[in-house]
Amino acid sequence: MPQIESSLLPAEAVDSGRVVRPEDDTLSTGTRVRDAVVKYGFIAVTVALFSYFTLSEPSFRTSGALFSMLKFASVTAILGLGMTFVMAVGGMDLSIGSTAGLSVQMAAMTMVFYNLNGGAAVAVVLLSGVAVGLLNAVLIVLCKIPDLLATLGMMFVIQGSKLIPVDGQSVASGMVLPDGTPAPGKFTESFLRIDGGTLGPVPYPVVIMLVLTTVSWFILARTKWGRIFYAIGANPEASRLAGVRVGLYRGLAYVLCSVFASIGGLILVSRIGQGDVNAGTSSLLEAVAVALVGTSVLGMGKPNAWGTLLGALLIGIVLTGLTMKGFQYYYQDTAKGLVLIVALLFSFTISRRKVRYTPAT
Amino acid sequence: MRMKKLIVAGVAAVSALSLAACSQGSGATTVKPKNQESASVQAASGDAPAPFDQPGVRVAIVQNSGQGDYFQQYLNGTKQQAAALGIDLSVYDAQGDNATQATQLDQAISSGVQGIIVRHGFPDTLCPGVNKAIDQGIKVVIYDVEIQKCAPDAVQTQQSDNKMASLVLDKMAEDIGTGKPVGYVNVAGIAPLDRRDVVWQEYLGENDWTQKFKTGKFTNSTATDTAPMVDSVLKSNPDVVAVYAPYDELTKATLSALKQNPSLQGKVKVYGADISTADIELMTNPDSPWVATGATDPNAIGAAVVRTLALHMAGELDGLNVEFPPILVTQDFLRSEGIKNMDDLRAAEPALNIADVSSADWIPNVTF
Repeated sequence: MPQIESSLLPAEAVDSGRVVRPEDDTLSTGTRVRDAVVKYGFIAVTVALFSYFTLSEPSFRTSGALFSMLKFASVTAILGLGMTFVMAVGGMDLSIGSTAGLSVQMAAMTMVFYNLNGGAAVAVVLLSGVAVGLLNAVLIVLCKIPDLLATLGMMFVIQGSKLIPVDGQSVASGMVLPDGTPAPGKFTESFLRIDGGTLGPVPYPVVIMLVLTTVSWFILARTKWGRIFYAIGANPEASRLAGVRVGLYRGLAYVLCSVFASIGGLILVSRIGQGDVNAGTSSLLEAVAVALVGTSVLGMGKPNAWGTLLGALLIGIVLTGLTMKGFQYYYQDTAKGLVLIVALLFSFTISRRKVRYTPAT
Repeated sequence: MRMKKLIVAGVAAVSALSLAACSQGSGATTVKPKNQESASVQAASGDAPAPFDQPGVRVAIVQNSGQGDYFQQYLNGTKQQAAALGIDLSVYDAQGDNATQATQLDQAISSGVQGIIVRHGFPDTLCPGVNKAIDQGIKVVIYDVEIQKCAPDAVQTQQSDNKMASLVLDKMAEDIGTGKPVGYVNVAGIAPLDRRDVVWQEYLGENDWTQKFKTGKFTNSTATDTAPMVDSVLKSNPDVVAVYAPYDELTKATLSALKQNPSLQGKVKVYGADISTADIELMTNPDSPWVATGATDPNAIGAAVVRTLALHMAGELDGLNVEFPPILVTQDFLRSEGIKNMDDLRAAEPALNIADVSSADWIPNVTF
C-alpha cells in the first residue's frame, strides 16, 4: 500500500518534513485537495470577500475608500508584524498596545510640553520603544519571568505611568499645564503629515506598512536571525544545545516588537493630533489576531510577515465592508472573531502540518 | 451502559422542566428593546427643496462611541428622523477610539455621501477630515465638539449647557433667596461642565451666595468616588442650604453623601442636571433632597441634528451654530404627575421633543 495517511503518523514524522512534501503521485486526491485548501484557502476567502464588497457596495470601489481601508489596516498590520517576531520565538507580548499608547503620549509631550519639532518627537518615540523592549527582555530573559506575566505587568505599568506627568489628561495644543501656564508648543505640520501625507496617491502609513512588511519578511525568511528565531520557537532547548545564544535572540525579538509598536503609535498620534490617553489600548488583541491569522496563509503554519499583512488587510476589508453595509459595531466584533477562528481552523484543524506556534510556554 | 443512558435522559428531562418553570410568562411575548423609542411622524406640508425632492439622499453619521443607553437613544432619534426624510443613512461607530474615528470620517467622505454628521471626538483629530469634506462640497454638522476653532465653516451644534444651568439656578434662587451659604460639586476640564460653571459663577455673584465648598472628581465611577469627598465637606460645612451639582453622576454623589449625614436631612436642597429613568426614581423617592434638574431627550437631539443637516444641505440654515434647549424638571412636577420613567416624562412634557428647533414645513418632524 503505497499511500500513507499522514494524519495517522506521529506528529514528529509529519513535522520532520519527510511526509510533508512527498512526491505528488503518492498523495490521494483528498489529501491534495486538503493541501490546496490549507495553502490557498485563506487567500481565496480574502479575495472572495473583497470581490463581494466591491460588487455590492459602489462606495467600496472608489480608490479613496481603498486607501482609507489600507490606512485603517496599517497600524494593526505594523503592530501585528512586531508580534510576529515575538511569536516566532514562541513568545507573546501583551504590552504592545500600551507601548503604542506610550508613543502617543511621548510624541505629544515632546511637541506640546517641550516645544520641540517633529523630528525630535519621532526620535523620542523610537527610543521609548527600544527602552520598553529592553525592559521586557530583561524581565523575560534575565529575570526568567514567563513572557505572558512579564508583559502583562509591563502593560499596566506603562498604561499607568505614562499618565503620571500629565495628571491623567490628554495632551492637546493650548492645554493648561499643572502649574497654570498654557502649554508652549503644538503638533507640527510635518509631524501631522506622517498620517496625513501621501506619496503619489498612496498615504504614508500604507507606504510605511509595506516597507516594514518587506523588512520583517527579509529578517525572518532571509537572514540568520530569522532562522534562529524560528528554531528557538520550535525548540529552545535544542537551539541552546546547538550553540545558539537563546536569551540574546529572544531579547532581540522583544526589542523589535516594541520598536514596531512605537512606529504604530507614531502613526496613531499623527492621526489623532493630540495625546489621547486611550489610544492604542484596543490594538493588542487585533495585533495578536492578525499575526495568528497570518500563520494560516499559504499553509505556512508559522508566524510570518506577509501572512500578518494579509491578516490585517482581511480584517480591514471585513470591518470597512460591514460598516459600509450599515452593520453596528457589535456585528464587527463578531466578524473579527469569526475570521480568527476560521483562520485557526485552517492552521490547526485542516492542515497536516503542525503549527509551530504554541503560546505561553 | 443502559443505566447511564437513563440517567442522561432523566437529567435532560428535569433540566427541560426546570427551564420551562423559570421562563417568564408565555413564549409569545415579544420584548420591545428598551432603547428603540418608537417615533410618531408628522406629515410635512411643504414641498421639499433639492436634494430632498427625491428620496435616497445619502448621509453618514460618524460617531465617537455608540455604547450605552444615552448614545443608543441618540442614534435611534437620528435614524428615525433620517428615515422620515427619506435619507439613506450609514452609521460609522469608532467605539471610543479616536484614531478609528479619523479613519472612518475619511471613509465616509470617500464613500460619496452628500452630508455628514459627526458626534463627539477631539477637534484636533476631526478638523482635517471635516475641512476636507467641506472642500469637496459635503455639508457637515458637528455635535458637541468645539470644531469651529479649526474648521470655521462647519456647523456646530450642542445641547445648551447655558440654559441647562440657568433654568435650574433660577429655580434655586427662587427657592432659597439671596445671601445664603451654598455648596458646589463640579469638576474642571470637561467642556459641558465648564460651560455650566460659567453660569454658576454669574449666579453666585448676582445672588450674593457664599460658596462654602467646591469638590468633585471625574473618574470611571464618578458617583462612587465623589461621594466621600462631598460627605467630608458637608460635615465641615453643615450650614449650607443648597448644593448645585451640574451633572447627574455628581448629583448622585451628593445624594449619597447627604444620606451619610442624617442631621442634614430636610435642611439641604440639591439642584442637579440631566435626566434618566434612574434619576427620576432618585428625585421622587420620599424625602429626596433633589428638587430640580435640567432635562433633554437624547432621541429628540439625535433627530434635531438630522433636521439641522437637512436645512444646511437645502441651503436654508441661518448661521453656523444651533443649540438644543433643555427643560426644567422639578420634583413637585414629577410627583404630582406620577411620573416614574422617561416614557411618562415624554408624555407629560412634549417640549422635550424640541420640535421647533431646526424645523421647516417640508420636514416631517419625528416626536417620541
